[in-house]
Amino acid sequence: MVYKDEKHNFMQAMKKKFEEAPDEKQTKYYVYGGYKQNKRKVEYFESGQQLAKERGIPGYNPSVGMPQGQRVLMPYQLSHTDIIANMDDLHFVNNAAMQQAWDDMRRTVLVGLDSPHSILEKRLGKEVTPETINHYLEVVNHAMPGAAVIQEHMVETDPRLVKDSYVKVYSGNDELIDEIDSRFVIDINKEFPENQAEALKKAIGKSMWQVVRIPTVVGRVCDGGTVSRWSAMQIGMSFIGAYNLCAGEAATGDFAYAAKHGSVIQMSDMMPARRARGPNEPGGLMYGIVSDCAQSMAKYPDDPARHSLEAIALAALIYDQIYLGSYMSGGVGFTQYATAAYTDNILEDFVYWGMEHVKDKYGDLANQKPSVKIINDIGTDVTMYCLEQYELYPAVMETHFGGSQRATCVSAAAGTSVAMATGNAQAGLSSWYLACNLHKEQMGRFGFYGYDLQDQIGAANTFSYRSDEGLPFELRGGNYPSYAMNVGHQSAYTGIVAAAHSARGDAWTLSPHIKVAFADKSLPFDFANITKEFGRGAMREFVPAGERDLIIP
Amino acid sequence: MTYKAQFHPGSSDPSKNRKKYMDPEYKLQKIRSVSDEDVVRVLGHRQPGEDYKSVHPPLEEMGEPECSVRELVEPTPGTKAGDRIRYVQFTDSVYFAPISPYQRSWMYSYRYRGMDSGTLSGRHVVEARERDLEAISKELIESETFDAARTGIRGRTVHGHALRLDENGIMFDAMQRYVFDKSTGEVKYVKDMVGQEIPAPISVGKPLPEEELKTRTTIYRADGVTIKDDPEVLEMVQNVHWERSFGGFEPFKEAKFKEGL
Repeated sequence: MVYKDEKHNFMQAMKKKFEEAPDEKQTKYYVYGGYKQNKRKVEYFESGQQLAKERGIPGYNPSVGMPQGQRVLMPYQLSHTDIIANMDDLHFVNNAAMQQAWDDMRRTVLVGLDSPHSILEKRLGKEVTPETINHYLEVVNHAMPGAAVIQEHMVETDPRLVKDSYVKVYSGNDELIDEIDSRFVIDINKEFPENQAEALKKAIGKSMWQVVRIPTVVGRVCDGGTVSRWSAMQIGMSFIGAYNLCAGEAATGDFAYAAKHGSVIQMSDMMPARRARGPNEPGGLMYGIVSDCAQSMAKYPDDPARHSLEAIALAALIYDQIYLGSYMSGGVGFTQYATAAYTDNILEDFVYWGMEHVKDKYGDLANQKPSVKIINDIGTDVTMYCLEQYELYPAVMETHFGGSQRATCVSAAAGTSVAMATGNAQAGLSSWYLACNLHKEQMGRFGFYGYDLQDQIGAANTFSYRSDEGLPFELRGGNYPSYAMNVGHQSAYTGIVAAAHSARGDAWTLSPHIKVAFADKSLPFDFANITKEFGRGAMREFVPAGERDLIIP
Repeated sequence: MTYKAQFHPGSSDPSKNRKKYMDPEYKLQKIRSVSDEDVVRVLGHRQPGEDYKSVHPPLEEMGEPECSVRELVEPTPGTKAGDRIRYVQFTDSVYFAPISPYQRSWMYSYRYRGMDSGTLSGRHVVEARERDLEAISKELIESETFDAARTGIRGRTVHGHALRLDENGIMFDAMQRYVFDKSTGEVKYVKDMVGQEIPAPISVGKPLPEEELKTRTTIYRADGVTIKDDPEVLEMVQNVHWERSFGGFEPFKEAKFKEGL
């Protein structure tokens, strides 16, 4: 969707949200019937009464809370889709697709095969051929969901409960991949445009890697730290089984070491003790990794803005709704903030306008060196454009009725625009902070206490790559010191990082391995169409994994 | 030469109003009268005439330790008396409210002692000893920084600053703490800050016309004056950004960066 299709991308959504024209400044209040204007709230009310009787403990009862619906309880259009969703259905508790997006990331671990193959050949004198690799993959796909390989009296998991668990492989070696059973392969040549595929294969090289998906239910019951352990145990057993090894000979320790430490790529780093989370939990996730999970550039290679927006949507879910909203804070409030970044095509309008503005000014993307002038010029123009939309279209202002929502979207657009102009994420970050200052000065207001604090101190570490002073933006993440508590930033930071690389036409942002691992059609969640998947979740059309129906009455 | 504080850059109306409100020498214009008792009723912290609750004995009775800072800083009346800390919180509409949250913080810092302010997009809270707080509240409610339609006194459930105005031009309040009296054209508070009903409506007067609000506001807007229309303001903001950037880590990058890395 290009902003020039209509005057503004958000117009369609505004017309669906409100009776009045988007530029109308006045409306009516207190006349919409309270919560009864919203079918989901009515369902909740009826369910609350029923449940109170059944369980004997009062529960959901809006009459003891602030009456909902004194104004229009507006619906939300998932950006770059036609799906209109009820706001409640965008909370991750109410949205199976959102849960699965995070489940699919958390339950993933990448394990190299070169190291165990080397042990098999050099230490044990075994032959490793495409045939033995295919046999191993059959064994590990039996074992990974939770089945026995070596022992003869063993508890196993019901295959129907863990049907989402499997192992695939990928490599930059086309000849080797050609000889592997295609059922076990993520084929880089098929999943990416030719130039991206070539770049990815070159970066990955001749090595062969496994993409391991442990069962969704395991990730949920345990945690992200379990993923590499579950994976390593089943991989070790599978090697023993597939290559007829002695269970317990020293080489098995080497397989475990490779799968847990020596040749493993986790999704995220573990957290320090005061935030105490293992690897594969959202706090340790780098922005570049989230950007690489998003697959828009593979499917829409000529639309870098779309990739940036999709990365923002995914990051809004992971960092804002799940990590900061629940791991760190608790409660339900963060969803209202986060949805601003991926609904109603407002940020869409801003980002596309910024991209077109860069093209108009400089002829193309990613052809400018980062400089004070570029950041001032583009950052200021885009910020002022975005603020103007809120000021000239009261419907847009009301849609983003919290300052933090506006702050996220304005600064995100300023940041992605400069990132696209320069192909440099750090320059994009600088533009983010400039936008924050301009926004605060223009409106005399910004976000909330902590939201603003982060943006008043952030400029000082923008250009530092040195440890303890900063990092390349791609490597920063949920636990970067001053980013660790504030909603509405990390989604956009991910988008800025994504924009720098998508504008350059890069095949990946930070990790070619993660990029390939999520170009996987077997995943329940489609990472090439993130907002659409959120919408399918909201419409209750998404089929998740890890369900327990089989084992309950 | 004696330094004369500029308070804020720019020459547009919002810039001039910012300078005015931040300058403690400027006396805020009083444009309405609300009795002391009615201020207490709207705040809702105590009943009119009720004693102040205290959290410690009067300072005179406490026998304070020797301390140069205590000698330098004159305690406020509320501190001397040992009053508890209470708050007043305002919501300012984006639609040309006379003042907005950041200007409130800056203005309060120049004008009031013994207070702690908090700035958010949709509300601004200030906490102080109770009798000091009542004096601050009275001055603010009666002054030109308060408009009956575009300013709200709200302890909780504060959303409204960014919402469209109602058919009478009044800012939305989910708790309907105030109502528009069509017969008099006045806005009247019928509930206190946290939404408890008060015995009789309290008038805060008539809303100002939009055109007058535009001349009084501190808010830059696309349908008014933007910071781009006031070049000194824009330049100041950009300078702040770069001073923060190059005054931070790796300042040696500055020279290279100005030319393009």
